[in-house]
Amino acid sequence: MVQKHDFKQLDAHLFEVPATFREDMRVPARFYADAELLKGIITDNSLQQLINTATLPGVVKYALAMPDIHQGYGFPIGGVVATALPDGVISPGGVGYDINCGVRLLATHLNHEEISPFVDDLASVLYTNCPSGVGKGGHIKLKGRELDQVLSQGARWAVKKGFGSEADLECTEESGCLDGANPEKVSPRAKDRGQKQVGTLGAGNHFIELDIVETVLEPGIAQRIGLQEGQIAVQIHCGSRGLGHQVCGDYVKRFQKSISRYGLNLPDRELVCAPLSSPEGQDYLAAMKAAANYAFANRQVLTFHIRRSFEQVLAGRVSNHHVFQIYDIAHNMAKIETHQIDGKNVQLCVHRKGATRAFGPGSPELPSVYRDIGQPVLVPGSMGTASWVLVGTRESMTQTFGSTCHGAGRTMSRKKARKAIRGVTLREELEGRGIHILAGSMPGLAEEAPAAYKDVDRVVEVVHTAGIAKKVARLKPIAVIKG
Amino acid sequence: MGFEEVEHTADHAMRIFGENLKELFVSAAEGMSSLMVADMSGIAGEIDKTIELEAIDPESLLVEWLSELAYWAEAEMLIFKTFRIKHLTDNHLVASVTGGKMPALEKLIKAVTYHNLKIKKNQQGLEVTIVFDV
Repeated sequence: MVQKHDFKQLDAHLFEVPATFREDMRVPARFYADAELLKGIITDNSLQQLINTATLPGVVKYALAMPDIHQGYGFPIGGVVATALPDGVISPGGVGYDINCGVRLLATHLNHEEISPFVDDLASVLYTNCPSGVGKGGHIKLKGRELDQVLSQGARWAVKKGFGSEADLECTEESGCLDGANPEKVSPRAKDRGQKQVGTLGAGNHFIELDIVETVLEPGIAQRIGLQEGQIAVQIHCGSRGLGHQVCGDYVKRFQKSISRYGLNLPDRELVCAPLSSPEGQDYLAAMKAAANYAFANRQVLTFHIRRSFEQVLAGRVSNHHVFQIYDIAHNMAKIETHQIDGKNVQLCVHRKGATRAFGPGSPELPSVYRDIGQPVLVPGSMGTASWVLVGTRESMTQTFGSTCHGAGRTMSRKKARKAIRGVTLREELEGRGIHILAGSMPGLAEEAPAAYKDVDRVVEVVHTAGIAKKVARLKPIAVIKG
Repeated sequence: MGFEEVEHTADHAMRIFGENLKELFVSAAEGMSSLMVADMSGIAGEIDKTIELEAIDPESLLVEWLSELAYWAEAEMLIFKTFRIKHLTDNHLVASVTGGKMPALEKLIKAVTYHNLKIKKNQQGLEVTIVFDV
């Protein structure tokens, strides 16, 4: 276990374990926290896992963790690690099994008063229309080689099929499609798993949530994004489902075999990796992009189901039930990006595992509507607390390879949560606070209880104060749909 | 032989015991099934499958074995409760498994990870701790 005396404080909210801490570290390990979050961070293996990532070949500057850091497997959740092309490594475990797990934020022209008579109905219809839970297939049956089109085109495939608009694509990271995806690098079993799951939520911590924009802190930016106080919004949190899990598993297995060929000596087998320039590295990158595209398509089809749910319940009952897209971001991904290192532009592979891209104003990768204000960053909180909309900053580009936090971060194990909290009691308590809950599994609900998570406001305060994202608006939930 | 859940902040971890490698593989499969289905007695035993796998070492073989079982759970809601290992070396496994389809599962196993995966000798035989991504 890493002790307090093993790291030094660089700034109010920034800490560093020096590269001298362990012989195999190639760079220091840095993490963001405040005093309270630090207490939790040092109680599990988060920092050990972060330090392990600082040993990866080709890692540049420092291995990083956001304040929502918690123990994962291989990389910690909240980890950001950049490796230099061409020979730095890419690690499937540094992306995670749920490739392009991410968040989409939609908004409406409705306020709470207008929608409140219909919230129960809307939640029920959303639960019916948006398939959720273990093993649940979607409403779409892909034909022939259609899945390959999903893998190549991502959300563009969904829009071509009538499940959304060009405006949705413009407000999606990478316009909902990563170039260079190759369906041929995705195994038949992964494709089999993906065949029936386009437009499904899955289980675990994935959800659809109806929210109210409770507070706006940056009115100018909020207005540009399309948010205002009192407005009803919708969040989707999910990823690439079984297809993504299989892609990651396939390549973790393949890399185990190639690791000795590249002379890699790693502290944890889950960190298995291959040089980006190698055939294995290139194949994984092409397969990961295909799985990421599947996830973009998945969230796009769920958006369609959400819109038809609003239509079904609210048409003719409210003035305007239109649902428009604010943004869609990935928080489990590796991306080839250009960043400045010592004044030079360098191509890097930035692994973000439970961390969000947070590009600042002026970044050419951003859609024109957001280029001058910075990229919207969506930070879902735990069920029943709050979620945040932030924007990326110029400081995030220099400090964190354009990255920030992705959520509240767990603090209590699932085992403890199940023991301490009963799902039925939790649902009653949340209903008492005006939060409608529809969940497929009560023990599953208990595991995701707010008490099992860090305080999202505190996590966001740290990234805001550290300058690696700026607060724009706080959302509070009124209905949560879970698998 | 047997299994116990151990603390893990984000996911599920299980410590698995067996007098030998065969028992360890059976205990691991039973442990994982117990994560997905709370009441194992409710599983019908009408479906049999033969599973044959190869891997580079026993730890990889264990991941392959559990991943195969997790695949059937997700793909067909098929949970196994009887595991007969017919042949097992460090690199090769042949097993016959029996189980049934469930109307719903408690939990989805997204993946069986290699995180700090090491089969170790103890006084009773072997043990290993496995972290499942859920």
